[in-house]
Amino acid sequence: MSAAAGRRRRRHARTAYLFLAPGLLLFVVFRLYPLLEGLRLSFTNARLGRATQQYVGFANYARLAEDARFHVSLANTAFYTIASTLPVLVIPLVLALALNRGALRNLLRSLFFFPFTLSVVTVGLAWLWLLDPVVGPFNYYLRRLGAPAHSWLAEPQTAMWAIIVTTVWWVTGYYLVIYLAGLQDIPRDLYEAAALDGAGGWRSFWAITLPLLRPVLLFVVVTHVIGSFQLFGQVFVLTGGGPGDATRTVVQHLYETAFQNFFQFGAASAMAWVLFAIVLGFSVLQFRLLRGHTEY
Amino acid sequence: MTTGAPQRADRQRLVLTVALLSLALLWLLPVVWVLVTSLKLTENIVRLPPEWIPWPATAGHYHEVLFSSSRTARIGRAFLNSLVISIGTVILVVTTSAMAAYPLARMRFPGRDLVFVILIGSLMIPNAVVLVPQYALTQQLGWLSTYQGLIVPEAAMTFAFGVFLLRQFFVTMPGELQDAALIDGANAWQVFWRIVLPLSQPVLAALAIFAFRSAWNDFLWPLIAVNKPDMFPLPVALALLRGAYASESYGPIMAGAILSAIPLLVVFIVANRRIVEGVRLSGLKG
Repeated sequence: MSAAAGRRRRRHARTAYLFLAPGLLLFVVFRLYPLLEGLRLSFTNARLGRATQQYVGFANYARLAEDARFHVSLANTAFYTIASTLPVLVIPLVLALALNRGALRNLLRSLFFFPFTLSVVTVGLAWLWLLDPVVGPFNYYLRRLGAPAHSWLAEPQTAMWAIIVTTVWWVTGYYLVIYLAGLQDIPRDLYEAAALDGAGGWRSFWAITLPLLRPVLLFVVVTHVIGSFQLFGQVFVLTGGGPGDATRTVVQHLYETAFQNFFQFGAASAMAWVLFAIVLGFSVLQFRLLRGHTEY
Repeated sequence: MTTGAPQRADRQRLVLTVALLSLALLWLLPVVWVLVTSLKLTENIVRLPPEWIPWPATAGHYHEVLFSSSRTARIGRAFLNSLVISIGTVILVVTTSAMAAYPLARMRFPGRDLVFVILIGSLMIPNAVVLVPQYALTQQLGWLSTYQGLIVPEAAMTFAFGVFLLRQFFVTMPGELQDAALIDGANAWQVFWRIVLPLSQPVLAALAIFAFRSAWNDFLWPLIAVNKPDMFPLPVALALLRGAYASESYGPIMAGAILSAIPLLVVFIVANRRIVEGVRLSGLKG
């Protein structure tokens, strides 16, 4: 009896793993192995095309601690992440609240979502042309309004802001859809009860909407921060990291270290793991902070 | 007297809707500007003040990037490459994710929770972190500048998310039909193929669109994994097109940008609800 049950359970497990096999093969070979192999490489002096590699201990990490360009990249990436989080959190939320009240909700949602279907390169090219210092329409209309024109992408003070504006334009529709879904999940009778108790729109926003949207806000922040630390495409197309190193990011630095300058795979892998540690640390922190008290 | 309040609410709603509609159109101006530019004669492109009506219009820039035999403007070829890569990725992701999500949702077996936790945890791995070893691996396989060298890693990036999305759906499916089929002597494969998959078409479509979008738009991996111009997908070809033309000839670049937007625009119009549903479900992972 128990032997038969054991056989059946083993057959069950075999079936399950047969279903899992193709996906797990894909995942282990192209996701898990590269992750761990990267950690190993970060302790070597590996280069593309070099037949042998030696273990160098923490030398790659020690060099990162002194690599001024890496520090600049890290600071730029952190600035971008911090400066873009608030607009990415607030603008789609305001739009979602407004869309939820007005008519034509689905049409408007689609219009705002459309930029998100474009590739980062297409978005970059569009804004490159819009912000063109001489013939771009943006500067033309600014001049007409009496404001001074700028080479937005060529001036160190404005280049990163231009990238932030571009990104916010690109991703707003995506977060708008997520917020709208979150708003739909809030039971209507909560608002009706609050209205009966004499709570106005503003009050019920603070007392009902915001607390109940907490998981959605958490999702938006975590997703955006993880994505922000990997900023690359916008910079590649819009500024190439310039002017000077004003918009150089960690992933760009990694890309150039690994694939442009001497193909230093060991050093680039160390950068990758520093990036990974930061992303992981931030995610855990945000889960802690925002998950802290979810009971109402 | 009593109708005063609702009327005011209606008027407020109308004002809000008109304001939002104007804002949405303003929001789309960058795309309109790209489209307008791509249709203008070269000599009219850089005129100030900006002209928002491309007249006389020309399809010349589209013709140039699609069919010219010049070294740089191989957008036509890149378009086909992107289609092959994206469709290949969709097939691989949907197949492997559905097969993996099914036992994770509906079977009990040792190691199930561990496998699931590892897959979910991997959603936190930034793609940039695996870039270098993934390149070394692809090179060892002899897959650089090949379709499989783009499709397989691309699919691996989306696989864990696909499992998450589909498992979520499979778990909530009513089990009676599957139990009945099992009692009638069907095996797990038949249940999966004849009952689970047909009932899951909406979520499979959502995953397919998600996978198509990320493969169609991915930039970093093809930028390093392809070094033959004939194998460039669209984003890479477009980014290099920018370097190939002097900055004043925006026409061909903008034509290329519009071409790259068309497939997803079509998908978007045809399957709007699926996309929204997919994004909504993806938002639940937080």
